[in-house]
Amino acid sequence: MNRLDYIVLFATILAIPLYGLWRTYNHPNLREYLKGDRTIRWGTIGLSVLATQAGPITFLSMPGQAYESGIGFIQNYFGQPFALIAVCAIFVPIYQRLKVYTAYEYLGQRFDKKTRLLGGFLFLIQRGIAGGITIYAPAIILSALLGWDLNLTIWLAGGFVILYTVVGGTKIVSLTQRYQILVILIGMALAFGIAVHRLPADLSFTDALGIAGKMGKLQAVDFSTDPSKRYTFWSGILGGFFLSLSYFGADQSQVQRYLAGNSLRASRIGLLFNALVKVPMQFLILLLGAMVFLFYQFEKPPMFFNQPTYQRAVESGSGPRLQALQAQFDEVFVQKRELLQNAAKDPNWSVQVQQLDARARAIRDDTKKILEEAGAAPKSKDSDYVFITFVLQHLPHGVVGLLVAVIFCATMSATSAVLNALGSTTAVDFYRLFWPHGSDHHYVVATRWLTAAWGLVAIAVASFCSLVENLIEAGNILASVFYGSILGLFLVAFFLRSVRGSAVFFGAVLAQTMVLVLFFTTNIGYLWYNFIGCVAVLLFAWILQATVFRSDAPATIPT
Amino acid sequence: MSMHDHPPFFSTWRKAYWFAIALFAVEVALLYAFTLRFS
Repeated sequence: MNRLDYIVLFATILAIPLYGLWRTYNHPNLREYLKGDRTIRWGTIGLSVLATQAGPITFLSMPGQAYESGIGFIQNYFGQPFALIAVCAIFVPIYQRLKVYTAYEYLGQRFDKKTRLLGGFLFLIQRGIAGGITIYAPAIILSALLGWDLNLTIWLAGGFVILYTVVGGTKIVSLTQRYQILVILIGMALAFGIAVHRLPADLSFTDALGIAGKMGKLQAVDFSTDPSKRYTFWSGILGGFFLSLSYFGADQSQVQRYLAGNSLRASRIGLLFNALVKVPMQFLILLLGAMVFLFYQFEKPPMFFNQPTYQRAVESGSGPRLQALQAQFDEVFVQKRELLQNAAKDPNWSVQVQQLDARARAIRDDTKKILEEAGAAPKSKDSDYVFITFVLQHLPHGVVGLLVAVIFCATMSATSAVLNALGSTTAVDFYRLFWPHGSDHHYVVATRWLTAAWGLVAIAVASFCSLVENLIEAGNILASVFYGSILGLFLVAFFLRSVRGSAVFFGAVLAQTMVLVLFFTTNIGYLWYNFIGCVAVLLFAWILQATVFRSDAPATIPT
Repeated sequence: MSMHDHPPFFSTWRKAYWFAIALFAVEVALLYAFTLRFS
């Protein structure tokens, strides 16, 4: 990165929050601080919901995912449109009608105080840790590749977010997210255009797609019912539906975004916008990864993208073994490139290229083993470094700064929504419950302090955590372990009208315990925990109500 | 107030949801056509 890149980077990441502070600086009451001033339209809500979901992990890891395994990951989002429609039809009207600040406040009205606290508590644990991962994930990659200090990068990404989120509350979060997601979309579109432009001049875009397809990178939809396959149409529809329903219906970081709407209509259209835009957007991000893959078929890629880790292994005495592998890797690359350049003349090119590609992958696996033996085990998958390596090494100056700003914008937008939600939930569902006689101003100040405290917790988590799994999956696994039970609480509230507070509370505690036991003792695919946790709460609550808590007073259903 | 108090309003949203599902089905169909064309 040169001076131009740094100017673009800092101008972009500072200008948006400063504009937000200028637009929103006032002395809000609690409703304005937690829900905005009810002037937020559907467009801002739609972009805000999109920005909250699409954190830095999406833009760093997803192209690498396509580079490594193709674009089949898109199927994980197939359940989302159905979930968003269910949220529009069931959750949003209830939240709007009851004028709640948080989703868990509704649980208190429908059941009792302890169930409200349980819902809030599960959310706080899950999101408190996830907020740290959101900051840590891009920081570890950027600090490694750019040579920045890790803690400084964490503070750069997290510190400014804490400041503006604390000052501006929900309104500044929605406003800044609108511009941050626009910067992100422009940056990713530029990267896509440049990746396609950098392919060989005699290769048309259709031919390029043909090559990527023959190399197994473009299977977007797979109707297979084979349970061993990780991404299929069916697992995406079912698993994705429960994950999305819980995320959009019961996760305060999203609920707070659409409750800020100036009407029920604005909230609903904002969500429906996401139902239609999400899949095409993720498709283009994954296709960008496939284009980067193609680019590296003609331009020699690093044998291992995480170069700092690679260099550590070389310095610790593994240099000769790695050099031998590098020689093999270079030879495979040259053969593969020749075959692809002459693809029109050789009808059997695809079989041979696939064989060479498998050999290149095997060499990379051997490299990883050597790195681990040398004590230089990477903290995240090598595929997470693919896209940012492409950006830093092959994009023009200025655009590099913009793309690094994209990563920071994504971190800031996702983190601000999470901190806003964590502060609101702690203030409304815990602090105000136990300290009910404060003034409106008192609760605004308390929410600000609690938001700042959660920001420091996120930075502390980011400073101390070290990832061993893929960055995308670390967040999804954590969410899936808790989301099922949280969603179960809400579905019992909506659909099992005879169930009362104690039954659903103990049902959810049992279900969450069961999910945690399953998580630590079995190898069930993580998306299934959403389904298992949710169904377990429904079942346990119903059974407990019919047996142990049969004599409880009838529930009061808020309308 | 419930959704049933305003049948035309509810009906409009129901149409909007079906429209969203139809558009999503088109998206999946296009992705499948893309898969068949390039795999």
